[in-house]
Amino acid sequence: MEKEKKMLDKKYKKAYLKLSNGVTLEGRAIGAGVIVSGEMVFNTGMLGYSEAMTDPSYLGQILVFSFCLIGNYGIPFPKDGNLFMSKGHESSSIKTQGVIVSDIYDNCYHHDGGIFLEEWMESQGVSGIAGIDTRYLVQMIRESRNLWGKIVPEGGKPQDKNKFEFLKNFQDNEYVDPSKYNLMPSVSTKEVVKMGKGFKKVAVIDCGAKWNIMRMLMERGCEAHVLPWDTDFSKIQCDGWVISNGPGDPKNTGDLVDRIKKDVLSANKPILGICLGHQLLSLASGAKTKRLNHGHRSHNQPVFSLPEKKAYMSSQNHRYAVEKSSIKSDWELWFENANDDSVEGLKHKTKPFMSVQFHPEASSGPNDTSWIMDKFVGSIKK
Amino acid sequence: MPILDFLLPKNGKKQKVILLGSGALSIGQAGEFDYSGSQAVKALEEEGLEVIIINPNIASVQTNKGPNKKVYLYPITPFWVEKIIKIEKPVAIISSFGGQTSLNCVIALEKNDVLKKYNVKVLGTQVDALELSEDRELFAQKMKSINAPIAKSHAVSTVEEALKTAETIGYPVITRSAFALGGLGSGLARTSLELKKLTQSALMTSPQVLIEKSLHGWKEIEYEVMRDKTGNTITICNMENFDPMGIHTGDSIVIAPCQTINNTENNMLRDTAIKIAQNVGIVGECNVQYALNIKDYGFYVIEINARLSRSSALASKATGYPIAYIAAKIVIGFDLLELKNPVTGTTSAFYEPSLDYVTLKVPRWDLSKFSGVSKNLGTQMKSVGEVMAIGRNFCEVVQKAIRMVNENEEGITTNVFNNASDEDIEKELLSPTSLRVFAVYETFKRGKSLEYVYEKTKIDYWFLSHILYLAQVATELFNFFKQKEKQDSFTSQDLYNAFKRISKEHLQRLKSRGFSDFQLTKIFLSARLSSKVKLSIKQIRALSLGIRKLRKKLGVLPVVKQIDTTSSEYPTRSNYLYLTYDGMHSDVSAKKNAKSIITLGSGSYRIGSSLEFDWCSVMTSGYFKNKKNDSVIINCNPETVSTDYSASDRLYFEELSSERVLDIIDIENPKGVIACMGGQNPNNLIQSLSEAKVNILGHSQKSVDAAEDREKFSAMLDKLDIDQPEWTSAVSISEIEKFIEKVGFPVLIRPSFVLSGTLMNVANDKQSLDYYLSLTKDISADFPVVISKFILDAKEIECDGVAKYGEVILSLVTEHVENAGVHSGDATMVFPPQKIYSHTVNVIKDIVRKIVKGLNLNGPFNVQFIAKDNDVKVIECNARASRSFPFISKVSGVNLAELSCKVMNNEKVKKILIDESEIPYVGVKASMFSFQRLDGADPVVGVEMASTGEVGCLGEKFNHAMLLSMEATQIKKPKKGVLLSTGRERDKVKFMEVIDNLYKLDVPLYATKGTAKYLEERGYYKVNVVHWNRNPRAVDIIIDGKVDFVININKNLSVDELSNNSEIRKTAVKCGCSILTNLEKVIAYLRAYDSYSELQNVENCISL
Repeated sequence: MEKEKKMLDKKYKKAYLKLSNGVTLEGRAIGAGVIVSGEMVFNTGMLGYSEAMTDPSYLGQILVFSFCLIGNYGIPFPKDGNLFMSKGHESSSIKTQGVIVSDIYDNCYHHDGGIFLEEWMESQGVSGIAGIDTRYLVQMIRESRNLWGKIVPEGGKPQDKNKFEFLKNFQDNEYVDPSKYNLMPSVSTKEVVKMGKGFKKVAVIDCGAKWNIMRMLMERGCEAHVLPWDTDFSKIQCDGWVISNGPGDPKNTGDLVDRIKKDVLSANKPILGICLGHQLLSLASGAKTKRLNHGHRSHNQPVFSLPEKKAYMSSQNHRYAVEKSSIKSDWELWFENANDDSVEGLKHKTKPFMSVQFHPEASSGPNDTSWIMDKFVGSIKK
Repeated sequence: MPILDFLLPKNGKKQKVILLGSGALSIGQAGEFDYSGSQAVKALEEEGLEVIIINPNIASVQTNKGPNKKVYLYPITPFWVEKIIKIEKPVAIISSFGGQTSLNCVIALEKNDVLKKYNVKVLGTQVDALELSEDRELFAQKMKSINAPIAKSHAVSTVEEALKTAETIGYPVITRSAFALGGLGSGLARTSLELKKLTQSALMTSPQVLIEKSLHGWKEIEYEVMRDKTGNTITICNMENFDPMGIHTGDSIVIAPCQTINNTENNMLRDTAIKIAQNVGIVGECNVQYALNIKDYGFYVIEINARLSRSSALASKATGYPIAYIAAKIVIGFDLLELKNPVTGTTSAFYEPSLDYVTLKVPRWDLSKFSGVSKNLGTQMKSVGEVMAIGRNFCEVVQKAIRMVNENEEGITTNVFNNASDEDIEKELLSPTSLRVFAVYETFKRGKSLEYVYEKTKIDYWFLSHILYLAQVATELFNFFKQKEKQDSFTSQDLYNAFKRISKEHLQRLKSRGFSDFQLTKIFLSARLSSKVKLSIKQIRALSLGIRKLRKKLGVLPVVKQIDTTSSEYPTRSNYLYLTYDGMHSDVSAKKNAKSIITLGSGSYRIGSSLEFDWCSVMTSGYFKNKKNDSVIINCNPETVSTDYSASDRLYFEELSSERVLDIIDIENPKGVIACMGGQNPNNLIQSLSEAKVNILGHSQKSVDAAEDREKFSAMLDKLDIDQPEWTSAVSISEIEKFIEKVGFPVLIRPSFVLSGTLMNVANDKQSLDYYLSLTKDISADFPVVISKFILDAKEIECDGVAKYGEVILSLVTEHVENAGVHSGDATMVFPPQKIYSHTVNVIKDIVRKIVKGLNLNGPFNVQFIAKDNDVKVIECNARASRSFPFISKVSGVNLAELSCKVMNNEKVKKILIDESEIPYVGVKASMFSFQRLDGADPVVGVEMASTGEVGCLGEKFNHAMLLSMEATQIKKPKKGVLLSTGRERDKVKFMEVIDNLYKLDVPLYATKGTAKYLEERGYYKVNVVHWNRNPRAVDIIIDGKVDFVININKNLSVDELSNNSEIRKTAVKCGCSILTNLEKVIAYLRAYDSYSELQNVENCISL
């Protein structure tokens, strides 16, 4: 009863969403009372908010959940408090700058939900606004090619710039535009982390990898070596490579593309690129990438496999895509988006190199393409 | 070509495909199949196919005539389908759009090799897969082979086996019978005694019963799956039951999408659903039901439906994705990638809709209409209709849905249990009825905890916490207004002032949590109004306008949102709309020029208002759409065709409350509103809409009022010198007694209704009068009882038509087979009439002319008469379209709904004179009863309507149409034996007219003592005598399966006589016997056997 009473009596603190197109929306402040700014993006998935918020690909972005009720089943939280590789989490902390929701459930009764969404946000210093017409906001984001926003809670303090390295590039009065900078140092592991025990050793280039990539590798009998993005790949002994998902513009990744070309492609071991990893691999192969009008961020992106003539539902989260016309002749188009025909996957014609724009590791979203992990692990000869 | 080779035109001729409907509406199989069938017809016609519809449901939209369509109004049985196959020579048949009825029929046709013989292919999911999904043992094996967990279960075919099985898996157990719809024969058994009873009755109708571990308290979750022939598979939607396992999904409150499961659970169940669809070999649509436990991701597959279902219709409306339309394209050969999502027009149909709102389905029960039936909800479905509310939070949708389903302006605060004892409320929580949600609310209002309610109900905390919140908000508001000094009266300005004290933000929040102005007014009044004053609904509504005025001033207004399947990811021009207060911005802007015509739909299906009014609404909306008006529909029933996105130019899936309709009128600024085509529900809105100066098309509010107000109508009849049965409106027992002293028994009693269920009855004597009056709680000036003289042995006749400015444009007369005393909605109707003298027809048409003039009617109408000897008396007049409109339109060939539209659109119309005798065939409309699904219901028909659906069949002569319509309503030719009891002496005499036909059926005859004696005295031997309570007992004969047909006529309508016979009737229903309880219907039916073999041998079936 106490909890519910709180729900009624809670004094609403206002917060404003100030957008770069001049519009300001008002709602209720949720989470930590800090002022945050970022690129406005939306996700139309109806579940999986904890997975989305911890997905490093959302770094520097304010995430709008189009679905109207968020937080229903709380946040899974292990009893010992050790979040590492914990269910429902895709990295060790919330990576979105902030979230915008229509309605937040400030309670939790799910058997796997340890704490409330709002509590969690508060503990991680993440701000948000509830009571916003998210459908309206989604339309606004859809219609404007670029939109940045700032969450300003009443009496809010500026965000701690030490939270992520790239934030130091921005002044308090500026809109944070994450794609302007190389975000790899902000999300990549600082040291090599070995996970699992297995016959096959897979090097994961951590560009902001979701934990489920490693979970799936381990489930398939692999030993995952998660490498910092700036590792000297030429020194790595492994049986296969995963180039992970991650935030930002693939061209804004320092010398990463060159090093992939020089040290990873030349190794001739099986490679799987996922999302940003797909874009990086494509750039390394000589193809080009472009910024889409608005990204694909949902659990219901239809992708069509050309060789199989079969379609799959996929989970996606990206703003950049590979240009179809730039694909080199030794590569072939593997997947296409059934809605807008954009490139969703490439395969090398002779070598065991493959990459997909969507997330075979899902989490959150449908598991329909998890077989790509099987295929990749299967292609590792040992 | 995406379309299958053999479906392509041959020699320039279109190929024919048979699409089976689902027949008469019954509990468990209702309007959703008209919706899916109609979408399928559209999808097939677009691909150049000629569609042959077989469906006796004459009120359905799918049985409308069409250029590429032929309609056969025949029973959906292998016999008739084979006959039509012979005539039409189709290349294929489609089973998946007509529910269980069509599925079973196709399985039977495949098994007896008819399809092979005529080379007819089954489209979509193949018969072996259908059988696999239907046979629980086969299904269990299949699930095991693909590692899909299923609850421990065992198929048994005897009671002994059942008991043994239950011992091994442990009580409580659930029983389910195979090959049955809506959970028929299912139940929960806690003890061996309960199990014995359950299996006994289940085995009577099904050869196989499944015993399963009970999963009471688990979550019940469903997925709608679509798969094409190449294996592309998607899930359109998931849905979660508010009620835990143990209450049939059809009787559960259902939310879509699921709200209490997380991403892992969702994808675990989704993956399994896809795997099942692939391994069973679904081509088209199927649904998969799960039980999910609440502690460790454990789950069981409960069942799958390898066809379109009630859930798929709901999922279509919940997501905007036209499941049936796409499924129809798939079964003729398309794959999902060759199709576009019709809502966006640009993106792929291989797509899982994303929602940015929630929907809530609430079933509608009419259990008070059935005498004797248990009101408890369980594993057998009992609801007769449903509504769906759309909003952006749970509080909003639950309140909207409750208003929709109860046709009132209140939400969850409706006072149902406020006077109940704690014990009674606890009982309701433990063994729920249709009122459960109010009990939950009241419990919270009384300060009980979430844990307390959870322990009693096992409803998920998430749902409960929102209801608790609503109780707290309402209490808070009550406390805010509470004052020691009460007042006796208020004005709407008082309400304006009172609510001005609340901040705009708070008022906005109250509205966004689904509180209606009416509801807020009631909360205010409960805090301020003196307890001795009782205000009528009308008065409260008038006061609530003060809040409306305030809201408009403050700008607290609902916004319009689109349902677009993509959560706005892609731009769409979706015309599928809803209103919410939980938003800042409308997707569509208000219309300035008055162009639109708004048709008000019928709301939830219920006893007395069903498919026929949806047909009228669809015709109306379609008419104005074709006339290039902006045709707008408001309706909230997800089972309907009228809520299909293509039925109108704009669909508001919304409440039919005066507040909400006025909100939409503010947005639409319409040219006119049509309230007379959707049955009584929208008709009731005419007054408040008229008061708000809305332009109502058709009859004026004055005309409607003059027809509906008994005093006014009666006075008018007297003035016009039109005869009517004597009646009075009594406000006390003594007034009733005085009236009866004057006119004598029997009398018809009609109390004012309180909460659904009107308790109409015929009292034959003082005893039954007292009994019936005891059922109507209070009689007062506010709740008068209308009593009228009941005329025995009189014929009932109806006249339907259309008038313009007080002149009859068209009037058509139908007769009832049954004598007066059977509700017109239950009666068997004949058109054109066969047994009325043309003189009587002329008298009736003359009276109608006078009434139409007197009321100055301007639109559709229906007048009901009783005729005895040469006397014709008027019973009532409905100034709106009637239940018979589709039937009469289709038989006569004149579309009464369209004609009404012409009148309402003020077009020139000429008088239409139809000579009923020149119509080339006879139509018989018969009612479908669902007594079998209502445990304990007495299947006797009376003045209170009890049927759930109807059919209309055509014949060259009456006998043919009669036999067909009886067969289509599950009255089957006796094969084993007939149990006869024929009532009064004079009924026995009358029955002798057809006794020879009964003997000709050549089956053993059993009769109760009096009847047997009567027959033997007249030389009819070979009658086996049975007794009430001495061996051989009548009920045992039924239970032992010696008879499959029961004729049971009451001596009179006294309480004693009814209860005497009810045991026989109830047993007959339980055992699946055909049962007839009305003498005239029995006679007409048995007489029709004169033409039985002629009908069986006809070479040409009648088609529309």
